[in-house]
Amino acid sequence: MKITPVTLKKIKRFQSIKRGYYSLIIIATFIILSLFAEVFINSRALIVKYNGSYYFPTYRAMIPGNVFDLGYDYETNYRALQKQFENDPSGNFVLMPLIPYNPFENDLREDTYPPFPPSLLEKHYLGTDTIGRDIAARLTYGFRIAIFFSLALLAITYGIGISLGCLMGYLGGRFDLFFQRIIEIWTNVPVLFVIIIISSIIVPNPVILLLIMAFFGWTSITWIMRTMTYKEKAREYILASKALGATDVRIIFKHIIPNTIAIIVTFAPFTIASGIVALTSLDYLGFGLPAPTPSWGDLLQQGWSNMDALWIAGSVIGALIVTLLTVTFVGEAVREAFDPKMYTIYE
Amino acid sequence: MMPDQSNPAAPILSVNTLKMHFPVSGGILRRTKGKIYAVDGISFTVKKGDTMGLVGESGCGKTTAGRTILRLYKPTSGDVIFEGKNLSRLPKEDLRKTRQHMQMIFQDPFESLNARQTILEILEEPFIIHNIGSPQERSVAVFKLLEKVGLPKSAAGLFPHEFSGGQRQRIGIARAIALNPRMIVCDEPVSALDVSIQSQILNLLLDLQKDMGLTYVFISHDLAVVKHMSDTIAVMYLGKIVEHADADLIYRNPLHPYTKALISAIPVPDPAFKRKRIILSGDVPSPASPPEGCRFHTRCPITIDRCRIEEPELTAHNENPNHLVACHRSSENPERL
Repeated sequence: MKITPVTLKKIKRFQSIKRGYYSLIIIATFIILSLFAEVFINSRALIVKYNGSYYFPTYRAMIPGNVFDLGYDYETNYRALQKQFENDPSGNFVLMPLIPYNPFENDLREDTYPPFPPSLLEKHYLGTDTIGRDIAARLTYGFRIAIFFSLALLAITYGIGISLGCLMGYLGGRFDLFFQRIIEIWTNVPVLFVIIIISSIIVPNPVILLLIMAFFGWTSITWIMRTMTYKEKAREYILASKALGATDVRIIFKHIIPNTIAIIVTFAPFTIASGIVALTSLDYLGFGLPAPTPSWGDLLQQGWSNMDALWIAGSVIGALIVTLLTVTFVGEAVREAFDPKMYTIYE
Repeated sequence: MMPDQSNPAAPILSVNTLKMHFPVSGGILRRTKGKIYAVDGISFTVKKGDTMGLVGESGCGKTTAGRTILRLYKPTSGDVIFEGKNLSRLPKEDLRKTRQHMQMIFQDPFESLNARQTILEILEEPFIIHNIGSPQERSVAVFKLLEKVGLPKSAAGLFPHEFSGGQRQRIGIARAIALNPRMIVCDEPVSALDVSIQSQILNLLLDLQKDMGLTYVFISHDLAVVKHMSDTIAVMYLGKIVEHADADLIYRNPLHPYTKALISAIPVPDPAFKRKRIILSGDVPSPASPPEGCRFHTRCPITIDRCRIEEPELTAHNENPNHLVACHRSSENPERL
């Protein structure tokens, strides 16, 4: 398929809206980097050289301490190993990631209690939380979970919304009427309470939480798609296609969806932002993902109850602001670039 | 295959008391509250190779009639018989196959082309829908079509918005003739175009008719255009045909007062020419509640009491059996009217 000049114009226009364009680059970089977070933020070493052989522990099964003759069977403590090799003349070494902590481990000390403030020496660049876990690590892994949770939520709700909305608009009649009433009932269900009730009965894992949120989140996009389809269906080129003998399936996939999808796309960034906010607020209230999962809501909660440890609240609020702002800027730029008024020519 | 091929004068299309009423619904249960009588019992036949003009004011049901004839709307009642097949009763799949023989040209060339498709994709669609040819054969066919309607080959890679209105209408025509149809319903094909372009498009339509032996149902509100194109003319008013006769006959000797009014409104390119203009007062009544009796009686200059009660039938005039008219007073001496 050829990219239509209109689409090309939209892309160009998007690029010309600097705020949105750079926001997209920033957020895309974050997402891609977070995919490889294990390389930057991990308690496992990147490279270990021991007795002439190299080890790359990052993405493989755990290497027990005995491999390095440490005398234990559980996973190697690479930070300790690094210290041990520091004065080793035999050429053995350990290369640790930028932040040598994983988001689950408690870095405790003998003579004091966490949270520990940010420290370059300890490589806790943003400090630790109330049980000694590295905040930078938890922020990064939490971001990864939140953004992919939102993307998955987007995919599911858009999948349902586009297909159902399109059918409602295309078929009309009783089918449309029935689902209109269903949506009206659905939108009046207090979603947050339902999730809280369900979470208090079962401990939700990410998939269950995703399904619950998708279960209540499909209505708005269905509504939009239905209206768009109604509008598109009444246009003459659809009638022309019908006059040629096109089947309903062909009309929907070749004409209606390509012509409505441009509008649907403009809503996507805002949906992602609201997905992140929803997950964070559920975690904040303690009804989100189960306990050790790195999450921003959990950090926010800790920051709120430990206002003297300002680095906790400060980091998570900063991260939230940057993420939501960039996503929203992208959304605004997309919306502006897709504004049909820019391209309609009245002759 | 074609039952009427032996007899060129046989009708390719006959429409019998076709009605298309649109329900008006309301309330939370969307009950039907009323109806729009868009087309309310029209009958006519079109001979193969002929052009029938269908004229009338805006909102009289011309476009609906055209679309219902092609079975784009499911008629409320009545039959449309195209080449011996009753389209109202045809199973869905048979109807879909029959569509390649009857096509439509739309009024608005800006609306009738999908803005997201190239001209190649638009013109390829008829072949894809009916599974004709390989991709290579299809693009050859598209180039031939472009040539036929007077567009360059380079047009294939462009998008609709890169063309002028007249060029787009040519694309619309190319799409309609792609599958060698036998009948085309032209729904005001030139009324959205500049006057200078109109004649080019009309001549293209006439040339294609000659080359391909097409039958046209030509819908328009422009009497001058219809006169140029048509063999017979049917005049519609509020969902009904009020007069139907050969084109020159209807212009020379209009019998229905509505037709007379329409014809008196055609501009004549002669400043010295003086004639009596018949000015109709008022608007067309709402098709949701058409008047009792003759539908035209609210605006008719020659109404009598009978018109308010009894609806006139479309019948042959006593002087010429080929001249159909629906008026109680059509047989009276025209000098007195």
